[in-house]
Amino acid sequence: MTFINNAAIIKRQLMVRLARMMFAGTLGTQIDHIPLQQAPRESQSVRCCIHHDRAVLRYRLKALLGFAIENETTEDEIRSLASYVTEAEQKGDSRFGDQILTVIDEACSACVRANYRVTNACRGCVARQCIMNCPKQAIHIENGRAVIDEKICISCGICAKACPYHSIIFQPIPCEEACPVNAITQDERGKEKIDETKCIHCGRCLQACPFGAIMERSEMFDILRAVLNPAKTTVAMVAPAIVGQFNTDLGKVVTALKKLGFDHVVEVAYGADLTAAREAGEFVERVEHGSTCMTSSCCPAYVEAVNKHIAGIKPMVSDTPSPMQLTGDWVGQQWPGARRVFIGPCVAKRAEARASRNVENVLTFEELGSILVAANIDVMECETSSPDQAASSTGRRFAIAGGVAAAVITAAAEKGVKAEEKLFNGLDKKAFATLKSLDKIIKNTTFIEVMTCEGGCMHGPGVISNPVVARRFLEKMLKDQQ
Amino acid sequence: MSKKFKITICSGTACYVMGGAQLMMLEDLIPAEFRDQVEIVGSNCLQACRDSSNGQPPFVRINDYLMESASIARIVDYLRKH
Repeated sequence: MTFINNAAIIKRQLMVRLARMMFAGTLGTQIDHIPLQQAPRESQSVRCCIHHDRAVLRYRLKALLGFAIENETTEDEIRSLASYVTEAEQKGDSRFGDQILTVIDEACSACVRANYRVTNACRGCVARQCIMNCPKQAIHIENGRAVIDEKICISCGICAKACPYHSIIFQPIPCEEACPVNAITQDERGKEKIDETKCIHCGRCLQACPFGAIMERSEMFDILRAVLNPAKTTVAMVAPAIVGQFNTDLGKVVTALKKLGFDHVVEVAYGADLTAAREAGEFVERVEHGSTCMTSSCCPAYVEAVNKHIAGIKPMVSDTPSPMQLTGDWVGQQWPGARRVFIGPCVAKRAEARASRNVENVLTFEELGSILVAANIDVMECETSSPDQAASSTGRRFAIAGGVAAAVITAAAEKGVKAEEKLFNGLDKKAFATLKSLDKIIKNTTFIEVMTCEGGCMHGPGVISNPVVARRFLEKMLKDQQ
Repeated sequence: MSKKFKITICSGTACYVMGGAQLMMLEDLIPAEFRDQVEIVGSNCLQACRDSSNGQPPFVRINDYLMESASIARIVDYLRKH
């Protein structure tokens, strides 16, 4: 079960406030009021005081404008948010630097390094197995209760196993525990830092942090500027996982996007159809040349993981462009010069888009939802309309784990190559170990699908809907399509 | 036979984006003891968000009572007390 997360709700409330000001044309003059509106004088603070809350809100707004918090100097602390709006405007359409995620050090609570903590269930017993068995002598008794010295503790966990009262608990550092590639670690102050040379932009840390200290560098400012400019042609390219995101049919979302100001709406599932056909062709060719297996390449966090951590299997990764790339290419031919905005559930797509000529911007479902709220567009009440380019059920199935493999294997069978399917549903440390030794494990002709998010794109970090609910919508849509 | 509680979940975009999406799981997660007592319906925007004195979205209507900042836990708590 997933729970409502207040850190995520605050982020969305800020997105709504920011977008509202953009629609009203008052962002440049009013943005510095947002932290005060969000945390007014008489409100109860979440952190030590409302001033700390407001400081963090300020940083969140900076990230929403696209800035990286790490680049801030001491002088920048007294800069107005309005000056950042001006800077973002001046930057124009030029792209941001490489960093995708940013850590708000002011929000990071510098979690305790030692993973084991003695709770008040400790009775200060005579046996004292925790002290007796600690290999580092990190535990002593204080006021009749065991205390672990965080500086000495090596988080081996023996004390927790030894305690007859189960009074010692395991307490992870949520972001570090969530990261599958150890890319996020503490600095000397205990604040988390992301190592870009390791990060695969899966977005798990951002979902895991209970303080909401990790943010994406949003592109919503640039996107809204383009959408609100009637002289610019903008195309919304919606990912297959859009189905069910607004508790309604795709047709209504298409209308909502057009009401918002997008000139055209295209299903990326159309590109997924193209990817499936091309990837099957590539697979058949590889098999004919003696390969036993090939892996999918549409999940950008997986491709990044291969590049940064398991380069040895790179020859087995498909060279076929992702559905986003092929859709963007098609859109570019259809409406030359148009601003192409990929709307999806994914953080890693931001990195893929930045390195690509086929897409200009990336928006998450969560950002889109907040923008629609700000624009007072109710998706449920929109009429149904068709996208400018629709897709088949094959492409739409890319949204859930297994969809890519099913498409490629079916298409390969039509070309006379029978293949087995292997699915890596969620990229964790175990999956990494298996992937590393693929050539030893795979014996028969096999197509391998790798999804970084367990369950597939519908479980991505940028979704609104509970994946169980979204999946029901997709399944109903696929059934109706047959 | 009419049920004891009629729960109307607002699926307007404002409610849905601000946490209402999780409420769509109510039918799956409601404790068995209440299953026969509730009728759960989704609804277009209840317009509750138009008046800020109603509180924060997501909104849910339980019979005549309008719940603000609704969550599954709060709904179940309300059912227990009534």
